[in-house]
Amino acid sequence: MNDTAFILTLAASVGAAVPIALAALGELLSEKAGVLNLGVEGMMLIGAVTAFQVGDNSGNLWLAFVAGGLGGLVFSVIHAFLTVTLRANQIVSGLALVIFGTGLSTFIGKSIEGIPLEPEFDKIAWGPLADIPILGPILFDQDPVVYLTIAFAFAIAFYLNRTKNGLAVRSVGESPATADSMGVPVSAYRYAHVLAGGFFAGLAGSYLVLALLASWSQAGTTAGTGWIAVALVVFASWKPVAVLAGAFLFGFARRANFWLQSEGVDIPAEFLAMLPYVLTILVLVIWGIRSSGHSGAPAALGTPYVRDER
Amino acid sequence: MIPFQFRLERRLERKWWYGVLTPVLSVVAALIAGGIFLSIEGFNPWTVYRELFEASFTTRFGFTDSVTLAIPLILTGLSAAVVFRMNIFNIGAEGQLYFGAIFGSWAGLALADGMPWVIGAMIVLVASAIGGALWAAPAALFKAFFGTSEIITTLMLTFIALFFMRYLIFGSDSYWRDPETTNFPQGRRVPIGARFPLWSDTRLHWGLVVVLLIVVLVWVMIRYTRVGFDMNVVGSSETSARYAGISAKRTVIVALLLSGGLAGLAGGAEVAGRAYALDPNGLELGLGFTGIVVAALARYNPFGVVVVAVFIAGLQNAGVALQGLPGDRVPVEVSLMLQGAILLFAIGGEVFSQNRLKITRTSRRTTTVDGAAEGATA
Repeated sequence: MNDTAFILTLAASVGAAVPIALAALGELLSEKAGVLNLGVEGMMLIGAVTAFQVGDNSGNLWLAFVAGGLGGLVFSVIHAFLTVTLRANQIVSGLALVIFGTGLSTFIGKSIEGIPLEPEFDKIAWGPLADIPILGPILFDQDPVVYLTIAFAFAIAFYLNRTKNGLAVRSVGESPATADSMGVPVSAYRYAHVLAGGFFAGLAGSYLVLALLASWSQAGTTAGTGWIAVALVVFASWKPVAVLAGAFLFGFARRANFWLQSEGVDIPAEFLAMLPYVLTILVLVIWGIRSSGHSGAPAALGTPYVRDER
Repeated sequence: MIPFQFRLERRLERKWWYGVLTPVLSVVAALIAGGIFLSIEGFNPWTVYRELFEASFTTRFGFTDSVTLAIPLILTGLSAAVVFRMNIFNIGAEGQLYFGAIFGSWAGLALADGMPWVIGAMIVLVASAIGGALWAAPAALFKAFFGTSEIITTLMLTFIALFFMRYLIFGSDSYWRDPETTNFPQGRRVPIGARFPLWSDTRLHWGLVVVLLIVVLVWVMIRYTRVGFDMNVVGSSETSARYAGISAKRTVIVALLLSGGLAGLAGGAEVAGRAYALDPNGLELGLGFTGIVVAALARYNPFGVVVVAVFIAGLQNAGVALQGLPGDRVPVEVSLMLQGAILLFAIGGEVFSQNRLKITRTSRRTTTVDGAAEGATA
């Protein structure tokens, strides 16, 4: 056994999990309000290119990080307008967002392609805690965004399950007609949560270029992370804290070939990479069998709300 | 409070020409929006568009290249069109296309050697359709029997297919991999018997004729056959389907298998017409996802799919072709950006072709239906 390689892989998996988790938390917020947004990949790319531009010009890492989030937020307005106000098909709109976002971000990012970004997030070493064997490097020697992401997950869980606004969000996602009759402004809630979803997807993109890649490249930035985030929400059955665990699993699947190679294990990397997707399907099917379609999905997910037609 | 309230009202009567006007207007709107953007970035939109148009439509090679690229796009467009119109969202055409290519190239390598292309290339296509349908089968069965969302399963299956294809070429000494290429692994090239011949000196191939035949077949099937009728009924209302004695389960399965088969055909057409091998790089053009754009712009009409596919293929083609031109280099991404913008405008436009926008002056938000104060209608 090569313990250090395994621990290093686990520690790297945490970093790889961060953008997946951030994007999935955003998607979860949007879906809880009943709006499916498949455009995560597009919003992440816009966030990434915004963050890079701001980081390159200002040299301020945190400013760049937040700017990426705002970029994603602004971009998600398109989806909110089309699906909430115009009640267009959420799936087609989301896909359009991916295509538009990919084109737009690569167009904007043309001039900065391949330029390395200097500043990096400093790791927080938690003094003696970081020296704990195994757990130390995995949990207590990461950059601040890792801890921020964990905090976000718990905050979102608290918000959705323990606050009055959270109850309103869930009611909008489960039965907008009921929510409406209770005086909850359905459209406003949906707008707010689609935009929040865009913000988180943008942050995910920020983290990718600022911390993981430290440069912007035409195609390699997101590499399907946005789609994984969409799947992860289902995998985690719409539970924020489960998103964290799932993101770690998906992150591990992306980093595990490094460890397997050092072990000389003969599982092809490709099969390992398939694992999270196979698991997601299995989870969905098992949920389907167990409770006849109740996977935890908001009941009104994907359907526009029309007051007059009830 | 905003003194106006916007409401969408369903149009009672829809003129036939809305169906043509909406996509045309969305293209125009997207070009204008794109033009503004191009000027901000310091390009002359007029020059860009003229070059774009010349590169992909008005020159002989440009146009034939666009049509060549349209061949698989027509098929993935059809794949999306047949199920999206039933509100079944197969967004995994990409993965079904990969499996079509895997099956098709296997058949080409194993069976088509020495055959005349009329038989050999057809074997490739049949095998690829089977491959695509098989890859859609889990999603179809899970949806029909367990109510599992096909959106997620088809998407997940796409990733699995992608990694499987990479495994076949990069990760193993599989039957598909060319043993001669070790540093940059590539697929084994299918024999001549499995390839569509080209038209004179262009890259256009005989697959076009087959694809157009398939378009007509799909149209006839939707319009005139029992299966098509069942699909329409189940698509509009599962309850009425039940009363009419139509099995929704069976129809959903058939529809998804058909959609998968069509996407698989796109993979087969690429193998027999362009790539000549299982090529994990050359196939990663996002043809499956773009097919959804094509279908949506064509409003799920099979013949519309053909027109839109040629147009979108031209845009995609132009991006690449523009790189070869001297002078101000226009980024490839302009075409992708325009595609996205066109689609976004089309989605919005579609809503307005089905609904009227009603602007009502309101003093306060009321819960009653606001029939009293009528404002302007657009």
